[in-house]
Amino acid sequence: MAHEKKLLGVFAYLDELVNALKFAREKGFTIHTVYSPFPHHGIEEALGLKPSPVRFVTLTGGVLGILTGIALVVYTCVQWKFVVSGKPIIPLVPAVVVGFEFCILFSVLFNFAAMLFKARLPKLHRPEHYDNRFSQDHFGVLVLCPENEREHLSSILKEAGAKDVHEVNA
Amino acid sequence: METISYSRFNEDILRNMSPPGRRYYVLLALAFAGVLLGASCWAYQIATGLGSAGINLPVYWGTYLINFVFWVGIAHSGTLISAILYLFRAPWRTAIARSAEAMTVFAVSVAGLFPFIHLGRVWIVYWILPYPNQRNLWPNFQSPLVFDVIAISTYLTVSVLFWFTGLIPDLAVVRDSSTGLRRKIYGFFSLGWLGTHRQWNHYGTAYLLFAALATPLVISVHSVVSWDFALSIVPGWHSTIFAPYFVAGAIHSGLAMVLTLLIPLRRVFKFEHLITLKILENIAKTIIFTGLIVGYAYGVEYFMAQYSGNIAERDTFIWRAVGHYALEFWIMVLFNAVVPLAFFIKKVRTDLRYLFGISILINIGMWYERFVIIVGSAAHQFDPYSWGYYSPTWVEFGIMIGSFSLFFFLFLLFARFIPTISMTEMKETGRHSRRENP
Repeated sequence: MAHEKKLLGVFAYLDELVNALKFAREKGFTIHTVYSPFPHHGIEEALGLKPSPVRFVTLTGGVLGILTGIALVVYTCVQWKFVVSGKPIIPLVPAVVVGFEFCILFSVLFNFAAMLFKARLPKLHRPEHYDNRFSQDHFGVLVLCPENEREHLSSILKEAGAKDVHEVNA
Repeated sequence: METISYSRFNEDILRNMSPPGRRYYVLLALAFAGVLLGASCWAYQIATGLGSAGINLPVYWGTYLINFVFWVGIAHSGTLISAILYLFRAPWRTAIARSAEAMTVFAVSVAGLFPFIHLGRVWIVYWILPYPNQRNLWPNFQSPLVFDVIAISTYLTVSVLFWFTGLIPDLAVVRDSSTGLRRKIYGFFSLGWLGTHRQWNHYGTAYLLFAALATPLVISVHSVVSWDFALSIVPGWHSTIFAPYFVAGAIHSGLAMVLTLLIPLRRVFKFEHLITLKILENIAKTIIFTGLIVGYAYGVEYFMAQYSGNIAERDTFIWRAVGHYALEFWIMVLFNAVVPLAFFIKKVRTDLRYLFGISILINIGMWYERFVIIVGSAAHQFDPYSWGYYSPTWVEFGIMIGSFSLFFFLFLLFARFIPTISMTEMKETGRHSRRENP
C-alpha cells in the first residue's frame, strides 16, 4: 500500500525485542522482517511462524534417492546378465546399501537446495536499511504502519527498549 | 560456562583471523613442503608403476589402504560432534563443532585420495563410475568396493555442505565486520545472508535435517569401509562384528585427533574461556567409552576365532599376537584399549599434558590397528606356501608424510581464514537480557 510506512527498530537485547514483537502484533501492526544474529525460538513464537516446508522437499529427495539407487542397480544388472557363483542376477541385499547411500545423498542435496530457495539465497543486494550490527550483536525489527500511526508505533518500540527507531524507504 | 555478551564472542572468535605471527608461516611452509614431498612420490609412482610401492604378493593392501581407513576414521568423530551431539542437545559441543566438522571435511578429502593413489592406472579411475560405455559394462554393484565409492563420495558431499551451511551466518558476520576486498570475498561466500526471521526459520529446519541425515550416514560409511574386508573370506576379516567394531574405532581415533588439534588451537588463539577444560574432559570421557568398545572388540575377535573352531581363523589370531607383527599388535592393544583407561582418573583427564600425550598415543595406536587388521590378515591367509611379509618403501612413506602434511596444511588455512568457532551458536548461549549485562 502506497501510504504505508516502514519503521525499523534496533534492539540490543533479545528479551526486549521479543516483548516489542508481542506488543506490536497485539496492536495490530504487521511485522515485515526481524533481523537477528542468531535464531531463537522466542522470536519464532512471538511471530507465530509455521514450521518450514523445507522438510517435505527433503523427504521427497530421500524417497527419490532410494528409488534411483535401487533402479540403478537393477538397470545395470539386467544389461549384462552375468551369473556369478549362482547368485541372483539382481542383487537385492547390495541394492539396499546403494539405495541407502543415494537416499542420504539426494535428501541432503534437496534439503540444501530447498533451504537456499526458501531463504532467497544467494542474494545479490542487501536492502538499504540493513545494518551491519544485525549480524553482530543487535536485533532489528521492520514494522509496517499506516502514516497516521507512525508516532504510536514508534513509542511502542521505544517503550519496549529500542535503542533507535527510524523510518526506512522501500 | 559463564555467559558472555554477543559482541565479546565476535571479538574473541574473530581474533583467529587477524594477521598471524611468523611461527604460523613456518608451520604452513613445513606442511606445504610435506605436501610437495607426497605429491612428488606419487608422481614418481605414476611414472614408474605400482612396483615402486612395497605392496606385492601376498600383501596387496599396504599403507595406502591403511591410511585410507585411518583418515576415514578420523573424519567420523567430526560428524559425531557436529551432528550426533547436536541431535542429543549436548551443549558442550557448540564451541568445538566447527573445527571438528572442518577436520571431517579435510580428513575425508585426504582419505579420498588414497584409493586413487592405490590404483595402478589412476587415469582410468572413471571406470568405476556407473556410466554407459561402449560395451555396456557397468560396475559390479555386488562389490563392496563400489559401495565404498558411493559411500565416501556421499560422505564428502554431505560433510562439505553441512559444514558450509553452518558457516553461512558466520561468514556474514565476517563480511559485516570488515571492509574492502575482504568484505567482498566473505560477502560472496555468505551468499548475501541477512539473518531475517524467514531465513532463520528455513535454515534451522535444514540444519536439523542435515544433522539427522548425517547421523545414519556416518555409521553407514565406516560400516561400508569395514565390509571391504568383511565380505571377503580372508581369515581375520570375514567377521560380522566388523561394522560396529570399525565405527567405534573410527570415533575413538577421531576424538583423539580432535584433542590433538584443539589443545594447540585454544592455546594459540587464547580460546581457553570458550573451549573450556570441561569440554576437553567430556571428550576424554567419550574416549573412555569408545576405548572400552574397541578393547571389547579385540577380545571378542579372539573369542570368535577360538569358538568357531576354524583352524585358519584361530591361527591368524595367534599369529597376530606372537608372529612377525606382534610388536604392532601390542602397540595397538596398549595404546587403544589400555592407555585411554587412564582417563578414568580425574587428574589425568583434566591435565592438558596428559590429554595431549594420550591423544597422540591413540592416534598412533589406531594407525597400527589398521596395520594389524589389513597387513596381519593379508600376509597370513589359508595357504602356508603363500605366507609373506610386507614393509613399506620410501615412496609409501613419502606419500604418508604427504597425507598428514596435507591434512595439517588445510587445517592451518582453516584456522586462519574461517571463524574456528561458530559465533552464531555461541551467541545462543550468551546473555539475552539487559539485566544480565552490567
